[in-house]
Amino acid sequence: MEGIFRTAARAAAAWAALGAMGVILPAAAQDRPLVIARNLEINSLDPHRAFCDTCQIYLSATYQGLVKLAADDRSVEPSLATEWSANENQTEFTFKLDPKAVFSDGSPVEAKDVKWTFERLKNLQGDPSFMMKGVTAIETPDDKTVIVKMESPNSEFIGILAAPYTGIINSEVASSNGASAGDDAATADKGETWFLANSAGSGPYVLDTYRPDDELRFRANDKFWGTAPAIKEIVIDQSADAVSQAQMLQSGAADIAMQVDPDTAETIASPDLTIETVPSYNYIYVSFSPGAEGNQTPLDLEVRQALAYAIDYQGAIDFTVGGKGALQASPIPNGFPGTEDLPMPEENLDKAKELLASKNLQDGFTVDATVASINVYGVDLALLMQKLQQDLSRINVTLNIQPVASAVWRQQIANPGIPFSARFYAPDYYGSAQYVQFFGMLPGSWWERNASGQGKVDLVNQKEVDLLQQALAASGDDVARLYREIALEMINDRIIVPVVSPNLILAYRNEVAGVRYSACCNLPLAELSIK
Amino acid sequence: MSILSSRSASSRFVWPEWATLPLVGGGVVILAWIIIGLTIPWWTPYDPTNLAGMRFQPPGAEHWLGTDALGRDVLTRTLYGVRHSFPIAVFVIGCAVVIGCTLGAIAGYVGGWLDSVIMRFVDITLSFPPILLAMAVTASLGPGLGNAAIAMVIVWWPIYARLMRAQVLSVRSREHVEAAVASGASRSRVLIKHILPLCWSPIIVNATMDFGQVVLLAASLSFIGLGAVPPTPEWGQMISEGAIQFYRWWIALGPGLAILSVVLASNFLGDGLRDYLDPRAS
Repeated sequence: MEGIFRTAARAAAAWAALGAMGVILPAAAQDRPLVIARNLEINSLDPHRAFCDTCQIYLSATYQGLVKLAADDRSVEPSLATEWSANENQTEFTFKLDPKAVFSDGSPVEAKDVKWTFERLKNLQGDPSFMMKGVTAIETPDDKTVIVKMESPNSEFIGILAAPYTGIINSEVASSNGASAGDDAATADKGETWFLANSAGSGPYVLDTYRPDDELRFRANDKFWGTAPAIKEIVIDQSADAVSQAQMLQSGAADIAMQVDPDTAETIASPDLTIETVPSYNYIYVSFSPGAEGNQTPLDLEVRQALAYAIDYQGAIDFTVGGKGALQASPIPNGFPGTEDLPMPEENLDKAKELLASKNLQDGFTVDATVASINVYGVDLALLMQKLQQDLSRINVTLNIQPVASAVWRQQIANPGIPFSARFYAPDYYGSAQYVQFFGMLPGSWWERNASGQGKVDLVNQKEVDLLQQALAASGDDVARLYREIALEMINDRIIVPVVSPNLILAYRNEVAGVRYSACCNLPLAELSIK
Repeated sequence: MSILSSRSASSRFVWPEWATLPLVGGGVVILAWIIIGLTIPWWTPYDPTNLAGMRFQPPGAEHWLGTDALGRDVLTRTLYGVRHSFPIAVFVIGCAVVIGCTLGAIAGYVGGWLDSVIMRFVDITLSFPPILLAMAVTASLGPGLGNAAIAMVIVWWPIYARLMRAQVLSVRSREHVEAAVASGASRSRVLIKHILPLCWSPIIVNATMDFGQVVLLAASLSFIGLGAVPPTPEWGQMISEGAIQFYRWWIALGPGLAILSVVLASNFLGDGLRDYLDPRAS
């Protein structure tokens, strides 16, 4: 009898030990760094100069906006602001800050930080500065109240504040390290170098180290005022192409691979890995720059239309992502306001030839096509260009493809300009205005400046300017109707021609939980955990 | 009787002494590539830059080396690759020999400060790793096979300058040269008629061996995006495309074997030529 008790006691002790291990093991698992394989492709870590997909991941992990995009990728939720309101004509927005919110150095998030951040974002004139376009004044009646005034109605302003680039910066820390928010910030600001080694936000993580083309390392923010992230340390490891990312995943060197393309995904067969394919708002487009210096043949509207008609869009989807993608009508991606029932891009060789003949170009011509030699969303841009080269050769147009580094592309697109190219875009928040402001032919928009050769050619579409103003002041069904009209105008501009909206492949080890695609932030790091 | 005499004639055939296995083997491979390069448009069924079938088809009866990401026939592209690699190698070696040998001969024969200036310049150029220097020059000129060729000439000429200078220095003290000088021959005549003809053997051997190395360097530059631009069927460019399709091994196989065959053949040919031209060395 005693033996039975002794055995039972030993069994109970063993169960207790195992149970304890069961509790301890996941905790230990959370302590090891989680590794993400990804092509870093970072242009800056300064929140107001950065403009890249990895930047979205970084900024949304280390900074917090006044609001954040909900998991449905459409609505917004409170973040630093607990409540907000707008006046009737959407020109004045009032925010109440959460009194509990603190930065990573423990200092409270105050109204002055919001004012400084928004002013710097606007005045720095960086790539994301368009998000603060129209802001005329920011008032701070008390430490926890911010009032933003606009020169004209902007019904998307709350949505814009979910973009990672609008994350609130600790103004005292940043100012003491060279950052400036004044009217002359574009020349006076010296903060970029400091931001490459430090973060100054209130997000769940802080920047640990950044080594360009090597790794971006986060550690959990000890003073985070919200729910602490499950994983203490996350590393985004530089891995340029889909195959090396897949190999890292299969070998256990990485827990998540972010840019595995469908062709490579087909070759991965491991019971330890999860491969999910989900639709995304990301897309690849081709661009025409009639103002580029290298144009041997003027890329006027008829020529651009002809080239757009000569593209085999379905073939491009098949060749670049193995058919795992969707056609997209306009620079506003499928699913965003105003994109329902838009006419999809059409391949029409007869029409293309007819248009070229009307310009006496039936014998063809050569176009310089510089492209960044990178793989984004599973699409190899140089490979896409070769497909387009085949397509355009059918109307005797020769693409002179020049693959270059992405940083070189960024320089060349501004000066001297690139007549024909391919690029990618991911949304920063849920709202169509960002696409009109970035891709539309509005005076001074990113693509108006670059496509026109900094104003050498007049490409401004006044109708888009007027319609955008109306859309930002509209509400209800009118919003979608007006954005639809803008989308049609942008299609007719033929400056930006979307080619493929690729499905996103999420590849990760089975023990990783919380992997999801976010429209604003790509991969929300704070939601990750190890099972 | 006639049959018997003919048999005895064939049995008396002696393989020429110069026709060593490396020389003949290497020469045959290089010659085969030249013939392929010259005649390929007449007999290949596919276009090297256009769709030939379904993408990513593994090797089979229709496509012996499969197809790539754009459905192009890998074998066709591999064979067409010789039309880019060989002219570049000939151009680079030709220019390097002309420039290097001219400067090397002047430096070796004239001597003095001119020798010092030329050879220090050679030393500086040779102090850079060849691939690094070629990358730097190509990056500054811009991608493209033409610019890659110019970069490789800059990398290669000092080798020939140093080699030729050493040859000239060893020959110029020979008796027949001194006799020519004593008989009043001009300096240029002495150099061209009495020294240079005795200097060519190692240059020819080196140039033959370097042929494969130039093909390899050109492919390396294309592999890293500094040489041929898409859709040129250049071997390095093709291997680069195959590298991002790691699990579709056949895409890089053809160009890889092509480079291997050319480098090996040029080394064998160079070895054979050295044995023939300079029997003492062997």
